[in-house]
Amino acid sequence: MFLNLKHFKRDFNKWTLLIVAISLFLAIPVFSILISLFRGSGEMWEHITSYFLFDYIKNSTVLIIGTGLLTFIIGTSAAWIVSRYSFRFRKIIEWLLFMPLAIPSYIVAYSYVGLFGNGGTFINIFSNLGITIDRIEMMNIYGLIWVLSFSLYPYVYAGTRTIFQSFPSQLKHTAYLLGVSKRKYFFSIALPLASPAIIGGLFLVFMEVLNDYGAAKYYGISTFTTGIFRTWTALEDLQSSIYLSAILVILVFLLVLIVKWLKGRRSYSLKKTNTNQKNKNYRSELKGLKKITYLSIVFVPIIFGFILPLIQLLIWGIQTFDSMFNSDLISLAYQSLMLGLSTAMIVVFLALLLIYLSKWNYFKPLNVFSKVATLGYVIPGAIIGVGIIRTSKSLTDLFSFHYDIEIGHLIYNSLLVLIYAYVFRFIAVAFNSIEGNTLKLNENLSESSYLLGYGKIKTFFKIDFPLLKNALLSSFILVLIDVMKELPLTLILKPYDISTLAVRAYEYAEDERVGEAALPALFLIFLIGSMISILNYRLRVNKD
Amino acid sequence: MIRIYSLFFSLFLVTSCTNENKENNLEKQNEREYLTLYTHRHYDSDKLIFKRFEETTGIIINVVKASADELIQKMETEGNQSPADLLLTVDAGRLVRAKNKNLLQSANSDILNSTIPMHLKDSSNYWFGLTKRARVIVYNKETVTSSDLADYEDLVNEKWKNKILIRSSNNIYNQSLMASIIANKGIDSAKVWAEGIVNNFARSPKGNDRDQVKAILAKEGDLAIINTYYLGKLINSKDSNEVAAGNAVGIFFPNQENRGTHINVSGIGIAKNSKNKLNAIKFIEYLISEEVQEIFANANYEYPVNKYAKSSKLLESWGEFKEDKLSLTKLGELNKKAVILFDEVKWP
Repeated sequence: MFLNLKHFKRDFNKWTLLIVAISLFLAIPVFSILISLFRGSGEMWEHITSYFLFDYIKNSTVLIIGTGLLTFIIGTSAAWIVSRYSFRFRKIIEWLLFMPLAIPSYIVAYSYVGLFGNGGTFINIFSNLGITIDRIEMMNIYGLIWVLSFSLYPYVYAGTRTIFQSFPSQLKHTAYLLGVSKRKYFFSIALPLASPAIIGGLFLVFMEVLNDYGAAKYYGISTFTTGIFRTWTALEDLQSSIYLSAILVILVFLLVLIVKWLKGRRSYSLKKTNTNQKNKNYRSELKGLKKITYLSIVFVPIIFGFILPLIQLLIWGIQTFDSMFNSDLISLAYQSLMLGLSTAMIVVFLALLLIYLSKWNYFKPLNVFSKVATLGYVIPGAIIGVGIIRTSKSLTDLFSFHYDIEIGHLIYNSLLVLIYAYVFRFIAVAFNSIEGNTLKLNENLSESSYLLGYGKIKTFFKIDFPLLKNALLSSFILVLIDVMKELPLTLILKPYDISTLAVRAYEYAEDERVGEAALPALFLIFLIGSMISILNYRLRVNKD
Repeated sequence: MIRIYSLFFSLFLVTSCTNENKENNLEKQNEREYLTLYTHRHYDSDKLIFKRFEETTGIIINVVKASADELIQKMETEGNQSPADLLLTVDAGRLVRAKNKNLLQSANSDILNSTIPMHLKDSSNYWFGLTKRARVIVYNKETVTSSDLADYEDLVNEKWKNKILIRSSNNIYNQSLMASIIANKGIDSAKVWAEGIVNNFARSPKGNDRDQVKAILAKEGDLAIINTYYLGKLINSKDSNEVAAGNAVGIFFPNQENRGTHINVSGIGIAKNSKNKLNAIKFIEYLISEEVQEIFANANYEYPVNKYAKSSKLLESWGEFKEDKLSLTKLGELNKKAVILFDEVKWP
């Protein structure tokens, strides 16, 4: 203790205070939820544990293992092929592989039933061809794993592809010279080198799977998140549902620990020895049977994750075009975009701040706070909503009690609260990917800069920022996409004169009018698709 | 580099401009009267109805849409500074819950009292039913005739083994149906009934009401328990497969010889902390006017509560039916018991 105090005195600096302040501000909803844990579990807790806690844990585990395996296989194989081989339309395929991100998973779930369910589009096509199948049953846990995997694998693909592409060609040549087979090169060299990125991507997939509500509910699968909602709404026990979320958060922490343990102290930095030599010709040409096999491996995720759902949405969109197409959609698109842009800006800024403050702060134990601030990604949106409404209530109560000022109209139904909620929810997305990239930066650079007399902030702008530009841009766009797809928080916290495309699509789907939901969903896909294209283009330009 | 800075800067400008616009809107709103409506209904016809109200009265309706549970939670935490004037839900149970949480206030209006039947509103006028939906049995016209069917209670019969399609117990309409059976038959018989239905499931519950009807067309089962207005929407869908499914089934109103078919309402209540009570009452009165009730019936296939309003052609073609006159307050009170029962019999 005494020693700690001494350390504290030695290591304390102005950044220490700042990081604590910012993290605390961001972590308010977590604390509000934590505090409510002390009120004890709700009255329905026993009922929950005796009837379905086991099911929740079982189903969620099966889902995580299933989607984990599938996204791993799809994501890494696709990333490997597009980064190691050259073939026609490779750039378009590279881009198409990202596109499943543009469709919210629950919409994919609906469109699969529209395609393969009773009387589905494909079932009709088959029967016209003389093949009679009643349906391909999607609405079970395997169907859910399928749908979630094909809609979430881009999280694995994205990071893995970047790593694979950063391999210098010497690596391959050296390996081959030493007599390593192609297979061994992939499994013993490439995969281990890419493992931090793969694990990072898988972690995002797990979070999305655990947070999925719409698809699981529609397919009739009880998961933690559907259970949290059932406990809250049907069993009228908010307290127990907060308890369930707490268990979920603990499970996620276990996952994080496992991930940390898997990553270990491994951090490979590949030194680019000869930067002048462009790696242009290191992609091998594909030929013959191999070409067909490899191309089909890349096309499978594009077809099942993007093209099939898109076809169904287009069919629905055309059916409902007359009644659904109006200027409202344009203004919804504009509002979605603006919300996304402003949030993404704030998120990237705060994530950078948190990362660099913890770097500059020498009293390391306090850096735990910055991790607390990134918990938002794992807590179900609706529970965050409750935490935030409770916090804003304390704030309004404080004002009306001490200063006799009513600020309710400023807090409730204001953009401020909604954007704060988004920031809390999505800061982890930016934080993790930017942090990963700052770790790759060579410390010597900034230290030389300090030595040459630049301060910390100037060094940051002159050295780190330009080097991080790509990472910042990618996390900016990832957050933007996430915000535009976000549902529960937007529903609860949005001001009444603001709405988003995702909300509009959800409203129709909720009312069992999936056809009508298609057009707003298509607009959303188009917007997100253009964001992904911009990202893809910028990254390529910056690389060349 | 400069490009990125300028991009960020221009974004900042754009966002701050939109904020300014918002402030202007707010100022404009302050000059006019307005009502803030928290609603669970997502129908396009509602938008039209609100717009007409705005045109005739000049009162602007601010709409907040989310699920009733979230809205109730929101009102609860917002407390006396809540902007909500009205809460509109798609079932009576949630209104009962809001009333019990002390979130609503009573409203006295002769028009409301004389138009809405007693069992479709709160006994002390804390909330009012606006439209009715019946939870009916639909059957495959090829394999079942209406004479095979009688009451909800008969569905546990051995002859319906592997034949019954119904959605998950997460759904509020199923919860209300179960609550009505608890109210009418007692909790023990209700449990036996639920076990019997689970035994007769054609498949594990999944999908929504429309999917159950499509499953009949695909011969996954013979009977489905669904809400009337979803059938209306199926028959009038733009998707030919949905229309085919809607037309393949016959509709049967159960329990006509005894208590009547289970119904639920979409209803509305005035928020306790509303500062615009008079306008709120005016709005509810407008919603039960014949003109609006006919829109509900025609656009959304809901049964009007106003007996002078004409229901739509489709609804009339299904014929008159005897409805369960059980006070809807009971549904709210027994909702939780119903859910617990579902869990006990393992109805997912």
